[in-house]
Amino acid sequence: MRVLLMGHPNVGKSVFFNRLTGANIIESNYPGTTVDYTKGYMRQFGEDIEVIDVPGTFSLDPKDKAEEVAVKMLRDNKDAKIICVVDASKIERGLYLLLEIIEEGFPVVVALNMWDTAMDKNIQIDAPELEQILGVPVVPTVGISGEGISAVVSKLKDITPVDADAIVERMGGI
Amino acid sequence: MELTADQRWELIEKISEKTVKFGAYRHTLKDAIGDLTVRPSTGIPVAIAVLYGFWSIFGSFAGTLFTDGFMCKIFDEHWLPWMQSVFPGGLGNWFYAIMVDAGHIQNGMLTASDNSFESFGVLTSGLFVPFGVVLPAIFIFYLMLAFLEDVGYMPRLAVLIDTLLHKIGLHGYAIVPTILGLGCNVPAVASTRILETRKQRFIMMALVATFIPCGAQIGIMQDVIPESIGFVMLYLFIGYFVMGYILNKVIPGRAPEILMDVPPYQKPMLKNIKRKVWMRTSGFLKVAVPFVLLGCLIVNILYLAGTIDWLGNVFAPVFEGWFGVPKETAGPLVAAFLRKDLAVAQLSAIHMTKYQMITSVVLVSIYFPCVATFAMILKESWKALLGSLVVLLIAAFGWGGLLHLIWKLMGVA
Amino acid sequence: MQKKLNEMAYDEEGVVVKIEEDLRQKIAGVGIRTGKKIKMITKEPLKGPVVVMVDEAKTSLGLSVADKIIMEV
Repeated sequence: MRVLLMGHPNVGKSVFFNRLTGANIIESNYPGTTVDYTKGYMRQFGEDIEVIDVPGTFSLDPKDKAEEVAVKMLRDNKDAKIICVVDASKIERGLYLLLEIIEEGFPVVVALNMWDTAMDKNIQIDAPELEQILGVPVVPTVGISGEGISAVVSKLKDITPVDADAIVERMGGI
Repeated sequence: MELTADQRWELIEKISEKTVKFGAYRHTLKDAIGDLTVRPSTGIPVAIAVLYGFWSIFGSFAGTLFTDGFMCKIFDEHWLPWMQSVFPGGLGNWFYAIMVDAGHIQNGMLTASDNSFESFGVLTSGLFVPFGVVLPAIFIFYLMLAFLEDVGYMPRLAVLIDTLLHKIGLHGYAIVPTILGLGCNVPAVASTRILETRKQRFIMMALVATFIPCGAQIGIMQDVIPESIGFVMLYLFIGYFVMGYILNKVIPGRAPEILMDVPPYQKPMLKNIKRKVWMRTSGFLKVAVPFVLLGCLIVNILYLAGTIDWLGNVFAPVFEGWFGVPKETAGPLVAAFLRKDLAVAQLSAIHMTKYQMITSVVLVSIYFPCVATFAMILKESWKALLGSLVVLLIAAFGWGGLLHLIWKLMGVA
Repeated sequence: MQKKLNEMAYDEEGVVVKIEEDLRQKIAGVGIRTGKKIKMITKEPLKGPVVVMVDEAKTSLGLSVADKIIMEV
């Protein structure tokens, strides 16, 4: 299994990555580019799962070369599973990237990271309801303390792609 | 199914309405500081203070405290004399000259060197330069940079400096390759990826390769020409903007504006900082050490074979006439292709005036990217490399010649 | 009253009413879209960029981008 860690810049993705993987981290250029990316492994479900920390991107319409590589990495790994790290305190724009990934047909687990910051800012998110609507697992996490990360990992096993149409339908069309 | 951007947002608003409640948000001290450091009236003085602090700590820790106070003593008082006493051959022997000390002629006598800059052996200067001088400089540089990055200061600096950089076809985020380049040009070239268009990336690469002296070079400069380093840096920075302005006018292509997040400040994470500093410092050592050793070796062989003297004589009219520096500068310029730090160290052993020294150091900085940077730009594209070479030829002759002219007008050349 | 985003004053709030077509896709990812409330945080002098607040997130935009966004304040 291969897992791509995706999300905006500054959502605590690398802290998340450090928590998932062991010491054996490889930093290298993505083939054909000069953009670095980080790769590591985690032992889970009786196999070594490759975890790739994809450069932060706001959307799948790339605006610079680093974002281009993020999109290329996604398209080059059609069979990968995605952990989409969303800053819970800025959930709306996180959902934008998430929807794009869902539309591309990838199985996704959503990590609502920086959950503590969102609480501090008085932002309340109904995670179970969100999970219902989106049809993908939604897990509140705090990367810095490690809260919720094992729950994210355990959800990876059974996720499948969902249909964006179904989400639109559940919300009564657009 | 694919949605359009507008449809996606419509959907998100519906979802958000059902699942998210935004309560009253009270602004914290952190937010206030965040805003103050990005507003021009308060942010610009803070930025100047931060950069000044950065520079002072860099200079005092790396230059004075560590290199002068500690490393110079170890290398000059213990390592060099020990090598001179145990290495077989002795002064005058060619192998000894390459590996330990070529010596220099004083009062008609071949005399042993008394410091690790002048000896220029693979095992003396070749170790002293990367470990004694450059490593402390690079380490403290990357440590401070990682701290500023982790706290979240860099995007604010980028916004503040955007106005200026926009005039040369770049935008605020170009501050990242620029500052990284002051550490090592190799990762700086790699980091030009955060700029959007080919034009912007080219301008950035060319400027980094010519006008941004790397940390290795600055570290050595602090040791060799501490009293003129401020002038050299200023002269190079002005060159950076002048050249950038010209390139922006000449090169076709788009120069889109800044579009980026300004994240809130956060408590720096020790683990993040440690990882970054380790990755960058070890990456630097991997590039630097082999090239310094190789550089010493090749330059020494070229000296012994008489090639450097020959080059000096051939190009003497250019060196002496155009740039106003001694023709012996040929040697360091050959070394500069392998390592700039090595070249400046070698310059310190040549007899010349303070002003000639400044010109030579500026030339070493501009004239050619070191081989590792060269390879990095080539990896980006051969067109970028060719273009950069043209730029630096113009820059070296123009900016170096101008300096000679300034000295002439001042009556010191 | 309608004005361009870059004409807003410090700390002024407004709602986006119109974004030029070619820009829409580019800034959608940072959360700027029609109907969204935006607050001006700061403007840099000499035709510098602006910093605005969208959804509690601060984003900096070049002047020519901010020039193509029409606000209702």
